[in-house]
Amino acid sequence: MNMKKVLKDTCILAALMILSVFVISIIWSGVTEEIGLVLKLFGLAFIISLANFLFDEYVNLSIIMSYVVKYFAICAVVMLYGFIAGWFYPSNFWMTFIYVGVVLILAYSIDSFRVKRDIEFINRQIAGRSKS
Amino acid sequence: MEGQPLTVIIEYSEYNDSVAGLVRRIGSMDVAFSVSVDGRQTRIDLADVYYIENVDRKMFVYTGSDVYRLDATMAQTEEMSADTDLVRISRTCIINTGHLREIRQVKNSHLEAVLDNGEMLIVSRKYLQDIKKVFQRG
Repeated sequence: MNMKKVLKDTCILAALMILSVFVISIIWSGVTEEIGLVLKLFGLAFIISLANFLFDEYVNLSIIMSYVVKYFAICAVVMLYGFIAGWFYPSNFWMTFIYVGVVLILAYSIDSFRVKRDIEFINRQIAGRSKS
Repeated sequence: MEGQPLTVIIEYSEYNDSVAGLVRRIGSMDVAFSVSVDGRQTRIDLADVYYIENVDRKMFVYTGSDVYRLDATMAQTEEMSADTDLVRISRTCIINTGHLREIRQVKNSHLEAVLDNGEMLIVSRKYLQDIKKVFQRG
């Protein structure tokens, strides 16, 4: 069983369920505070995903450097977005660095593990091809 | 016989990934690129291509020892090379995995593709999955 695919499909399905339920709720009772928060989070996720895609397409840094740059860029985006959306009190904006840091450390660990595994797979296939 | 198209008969007990890979390889033997060098047109078989690079919006085909100009865009080249051993490894480069000797990570830094003529090309992590897929096809 491909657990990765199951988890990915779960996330996509959950996002679709949330959006469907919210669309009906918006039609029924307008944009409530909770719905507004989730929509803002979707907006933030879209901006970060787009920036991440463009960064990976045009910038070629080492794996560590790319995550360091991404860390500061995402912190800046989240802080700006958070202040516009009214998420932060002026005293607790520094929490952004912790939240973003935790997410990026996890992403870095998964990414570096995956890269290592993919390289090993490719090199094994090349070695097998050379033997046959 | 001269003038006759290449005919290959493949016999198998079960159509699996290995057979599919073999059929794809044989099919891609007919793929060739129309290129130019010093103003004269010529054709290069896919098997002779090491990599194709986009330099200042101009496409160049590199063989083991020569460089040719290819009159196509990156998107057109990718389209032509679908289901072959060619795969994109960065925003500007497509390699022939048939000439790939190794992929290596330089001390937790960038990735490099080493070709069998010793040339090294930068690989973008974003395209690593695509390279893997070529080898998964068999």
